[in-house]
Amino acid sequence: MTLQMQDIDLTACEREPIHIPGSIQPHGILLAIRLSDRTIAYASANVAEIFGFGATDVLGRPFDQVLPALSAEFSTQLNDPPTAGNSRFVRTIRVMTAQEEKFFETAVSRSGDYAILELEEPPVGSVSSIDALYPTLRRFVEQLQGASTIEALCRMAAQDIRRMTGFDRVLIYRFDEQWNGTVVAEDRNEVLPSYLDLRFPASDIPAQARELYRRNRLRIIPDAGYAPVPIQSHDPAPLDLSDSVLRSVSPVHLEYMRNMGTLASMSISILRDGRLWGLISCHNRDPKRVSLQVRNACDFLTQIFSLQLEARENTTLADNRVRLGAIRTRLLAHMAAEDHFIAGLVNHPDDLMMLASAQGAAILTQDQCCCLGQTPDKNQVRALFDWLSEHQQEDVLATDTLSEIYPAAKAFADQASGLLSISISKVHSSYVLWFRPEVVQTVKWGGNPEKPVREEAGSLRLHPRLSFEIWKETVRDRSLPWDRSEVEAVNELRNAIVGIVLRRAEEMAALTEELRRSNKELEAFSYSVSHDLRAPFRHIVGYSELLKKQEASEMSEKGKRYVDTIIEAAYTAGTLVDNLLRFSHMGRTALKPRPVDVARLVDEVRQKLMAQQGERRIQWIVGDLPPMTADPVLIRLVFENLLDNAVKYTRTREKARIEIGSRRQDGETIYFVRDNGVGFDMKYIDKLFGVFQRLHRMEEFEGTGIGLANVRRIVERHGGRAWAEGALDKGATFSIALPDQNEGAA
Amino acid sequence: MAELKPILLVEDNPKDLELTLAALEQSQLANEVVVVRDGEEALDFLYRRGAHESRNTSDPAVVLLDLKLPKVDGLEVLETVKADPHLRQTPVVMLTSSREESDLVRSYELGVNAFVVKPVGFREFFDAIQDLGVFWAILNEPPPRRNGA
Repeated sequence: MTLQMQDIDLTACEREPIHIPGSIQPHGILLAIRLSDRTIAYASANVAEIFGFGATDVLGRPFDQVLPALSAEFSTQLNDPPTAGNSRFVRTIRVMTAQEEKFFETAVSRSGDYAILELEEPPVGSVSSIDALYPTLRRFVEQLQGASTIEALCRMAAQDIRRMTGFDRVLIYRFDEQWNGTVVAEDRNEVLPSYLDLRFPASDIPAQARELYRRNRLRIIPDAGYAPVPIQSHDPAPLDLSDSVLRSVSPVHLEYMRNMGTLASMSISILRDGRLWGLISCHNRDPKRVSLQVRNACDFLTQIFSLQLEARENTTLADNRVRLGAIRTRLLAHMAAEDHFIAGLVNHPDDLMMLASAQGAAILTQDQCCCLGQTPDKNQVRALFDWLSEHQQEDVLATDTLSEIYPAAKAFADQASGLLSISISKVHSSYVLWFRPEVVQTVKWGGNPEKPVREEAGSLRLHPRLSFEIWKETVRDRSLPWDRSEVEAVNELRNAIVGIVLRRAEEMAALTEELRRSNKELEAFSYSVSHDLRAPFRHIVGYSELLKKQEASEMSEKGKRYVDTIIEAAYTAGTLVDNLLRFSHMGRTALKPRPVDVARLVDEVRQKLMAQQGERRIQWIVGDLPPMTADPVLIRLVFENLLDNAVKYTRTREKARIEIGSRRQDGETIYFVRDNGVGFDMKYIDKLFGVFQRLHRMEEFEGTGIGLANVRRIVERHGGRAWAEGALDKGATFSIALPDQNEGAA
Repeated sequence: MAELKPILLVEDNPKDLELTLAALEQSQLANEVVVVRDGEEALDFLYRRGAHESRNTSDPAVVLLDLKLPKVDGLEVLETVKADPHLRQTPVVMLTSSREESDLVRSYELGVNAFVVKPVGFREFFDAIQDLGVFWAILNEPPPRRNGA
């Protein structure tokens, strides 16, 4: 395998198989022992410098024959090799080399069917045991307890790692959602420049490198100018060095280091919930070695740091959850107190917005749009609603750059660069939205992030950027990000609302079912009444008439009057039943609205009435009566009742005068019937439209007292109103108002 | 003048029966009034079955049919009559206590010739019965029957 720097396509970084470089760094040697037969399967070329025999000479030979002392040292590890994903520092051992006895720090890892042994000669002057590192570790752990913030914690970790290793600069580097990294803490001397607050593009650490970092927590490159040492083997398959400590790195990375002016580097992964949270990144201007012992201690310290970080973040999260939980509970109480959840939210905008630390909120359904606090205008919110209805698939949508997914949002970045949206129902699109305004930020990049690579003139060769000079970028259309606890809180609010909506729907369904049942019972009842209750009255009337006729000659005048009274009473009772049935029927049958020629209808009713009046003279004044849309049968009943009343109650007038007219007013057409009859006392106005309410004695004016109840019921079923004005002995005016287009008809 | 056909009165309620007969009597129709007391008997009469197997009367000029009847109700009788090509021409008048729209709609769907809600008032009741009798029994010339039976 050639180890010369090749022409590298940097865009191919993502594809470079960095776990099988086929070589190691030169500060140690590597042997891979086949576990099945304990033969040496791979050996780095530099074993010759230590042991005096060529790597190829020992390949395929039993380990315990070639290096019996070493084999004996590692017998335990070979019997029980570490699992993949773990390398194990063993200890410092004394090894007889070709020249002399030397100390080596050793590490063992597993690679498929092989155990990998790596030996490093400790750097001159390095500590020889964990004892020397213990005070630093101890102090770190003690101080951790006192660190009040995550920032302080990060600073402390940077300081202690630098103290233990002696690097020129130690950075705590944190990944964001897009895997860009930001330097959140730093400890350094004056040799290297400060990188604090600088951001580095995600492409600086490609995906497969991040995966390797997650698996193998610590890497070191003591000298970026090193010459890789090839690994020799009879086996054509390259050895997987994922867990190795000496793995040779990508030439591109070495170039990157040289461009950055750091010849030595070490990085330790900070894992949180198994995910790469960030890195502790150490740099030195000049080559620098760190003993395996110290590196191990650094890894240990970093793990403590990770746990502490996790604990801190969890505490913050828990605090937020408790705080937001209290707000959510209040909102639930508000919603439970109202008929509809929307009212519960709208009436408590502060709690609603506080739930997500938002500056504005909106509650949206197909026909409602309530904006609270700082929001885009209603039309913009409506348009956003339409977009969400089409595009929001998930229950909760959280973005701090709405304009990226919904470009129209650029127009209202001041109110809503950030959007948090919960979808209550997909069927009847409804949403609760929270808005956050734009926060203009200046991001300092470590070099231009738009040009992480450069092309060499005249060739296809690409190189990492040369300059890490601060490159400032102004970020617009972005709000503060939504916190995990906030997203959780609104999701839980969503669940609660869905619960409430479902419960309401169930209650409504139960109510409808109950109504349907009682309606059915009522129908059965009225059917039975109409058949069975009418008949006896008919029989009383019929037989009384027969009796009167049969016994006409025998009966006294008094007897005849009694019989007449029976007939009249039964007749009235029968009519009452008829009217009652009609009244109950009216409330139940479906309206069949169609255009009604009111002028013609009134004329017909009037003619029919007048035909029954014999000698009476009535002055009719009929004004303009525009057509309406209504159930013709029912609306005829209304005019029959109103006109019949007018005729009836003007009976005592010598000059009866009845006026029928209409007027338009506030989206309604009002029809009225005015007479100069006996009128009524306004203090009984409430009784006028009641069922069986009468304001006159029977002998004055006949009737069952149901006519006006019918009028009101019919008009109200058409979405209109019915009312009356009058004064005793001064006539009366009855009015009905029907909304234009009859929108209220049901 | 053709042979005077009978009026078939189907009524289960004795009081209504008596009052109806009184009304018909008053109208002094010459037609015989045949009374049956339920829907099944009405169909027996029309189909010359059971007790009416050997009746020698002709088919009725009109059937005055109460709606609520024991065994087979008025609507079922109406349906059978109007579905039968031989009986279809026979006029059927539904007499009922009910103002229920559903009954009315159903009756007209089945092809009733008239639907009369028995009025509570005696005068109106008599007038209605007499009008019906006169109209259907005397004035109404039934269309010629295809089979001439």
